[in-house]
Amino acid sequence: MTDHRVPAVRAEGLVKHFDGKEDTVEAVRGVDLEIQSGEIFGFLGPNGAGKSTTVRMLTTLLSITAGRAEVTGIDVAQDPEAVRRRIGVALQEAGLDPRQTGRELLTLHGRLFGLDQAAAVKRTQELLELVELEDAADRVTKGYSGGMQRRLDLAAALVHEPEVLFLDEPTTGLDPASRLTVWEEVRRINGHGTTVFLTTQYLEEADQLCDRLAIIDDGRIVREGTPANLKTELSERLGGTEVTLDDVFLDATGRSRDRAAGEVQEVGA
Amino acid sequence: MSATIALGKRSLREALRQPDALFMTMFIPIFFLIVNTGQAAEIFPSDSTEFLRGQGYGAFQLPITLLLAASFGMASLFLVEEIEGGYFDKLRAMPIPRYSMVLGRLVAEGAKGIFISSVIVLLALPFGITIASGPLGFILLILLATLWGVVYAGFMQVVALKTRNAAAVNSGGLIFFPLLFLTPNFVPREMLTRPMEIAATLNPVTYLMEALRSLILTDLDWGAILPGFAVVAGLGVIMLLLNVRMIQTYD
Repeated sequence: MTDHRVPAVRAEGLVKHFDGKEDTVEAVRGVDLEIQSGEIFGFLGPNGAGKSTTVRMLTTLLSITAGRAEVTGIDVAQDPEAVRRRIGVALQEAGLDPRQTGRELLTLHGRLFGLDQAAAVKRTQELLELVELEDAADRVTKGYSGGMQRRLDLAAALVHEPEVLFLDEPTTGLDPASRLTVWEEVRRINGHGTTVFLTTQYLEEADQLCDRLAIIDDGRIVREGTPANLKTELSERLGGTEVTLDDVFLDATGRSRDRAAGEVQEVGA
Repeated sequence: MSATIALGKRSLREALRQPDALFMTMFIPIFFLIVNTGQAAEIFPSDSTEFLRGQGYGAFQLPITLLLAASFGMASLFLVEEIEGGYFDKLRAMPIPRYSMVLGRLVAEGAKGIFISSVIVLLALPFGITIASGPLGFILLILLATLWGVVYAGFMQVVALKTRNAAAVNSGGLIFFPLLFLTPNFVPREMLTRPMEIAATLNPVTYLMEALRSLILTDLDWGAILPGFAVVAGLGVIMLLLNVRMIQTYD
């Protein structure tokens, strides 16, 4: 049962270093986050900014170098198994077992989350209907299209009705129709009370879906707020000019449209 | 334990959906059995070669076939594929004991090993090979070959977890071949040249091979059988500790 007084996700001074052969890479350099229960929270940033690394720490997949993280009030490092019971995870690559059918995969996940066989079979059918994969349910996932794989991955993350759902770039590589399907699904899941932590590179996606968002660059949070507030703040700084979330992102990450255009010209030359 | 069994069943389904791989696991070792026997059977006729104990040279070669087949498991390659494809992380994000992710595959390797070893021995019977140690010996033969397959697959899983690379896992598999050939694989240990005899004595696979061979050629000879099981038990403990350590510290 979700306790609405406890933040769904809280991170304090979260740091991750990777030790290479010659030097240490500081992928995340002190991230502070607080996400309330029931929110759709967007986590934006350029490639290599530290989005996925942060998600992997919060989902117990990566050790934490320094700092602290809690999910539904449970310390990620102290009790990772309890955290895993409360979260659903769909990572950047739709990680599916290529030799299992969609139905087998969902039933297996149900069993691994502690459902008995009958309950796992029932839940599998519900999820297949939810993501509209009943017709493909008995085909091995290797033959699924990218959109179908994403939908199945999302269904797999929902088997145990998680309190917090982590979606790492869930629409990357999808066609517009599949992307809209995933958006609708995220809204529907959130409508049932699930907190959604969403990383994305698509600013339109963040603008459409997220109650609040943070922009990370070079391992640090550089902006945080509601999409409307972030746009208003930049607009005021620019003397009332109308701005989009793209402008907020470019401003926050120290990049500009001029510079981006210049880079394109260089490639073309 | 239920997670280990659920994941073991999944790995078995995975193997059954790759029948070509299962076929090759049996075909190559049987091919070597036929070729080796064909080449050396004339040199070692059964009626005048004491170490054959009245059987044909194929009976002497059968342990190599069983060990080869047991060492052709695909578990580590499937594991690497899973790591590269991202499904491994999906399993890691579940509230299951981490060790079940490696033990599940080993349970499946065990089930596969029983099937493959039994088929190879049963295929050998019509060609005049008998299991001199009787029904109990047959069970011990299958058990020992299967346990070796599980231990070997476990070591390959360690390579897979460490390198996360299919090419490295393939190369790792080649380690077995020197170990298999630094054994009394064509003649008994006492007939080897002195340097080869020393190498074979130091090689743990020798004791495994001699245990399997004794089960085929003689009545139950515990002096030969127990060292084989001891090798599998010792290496098995090391393999399990390494697997559990690798999966617990996987980042």
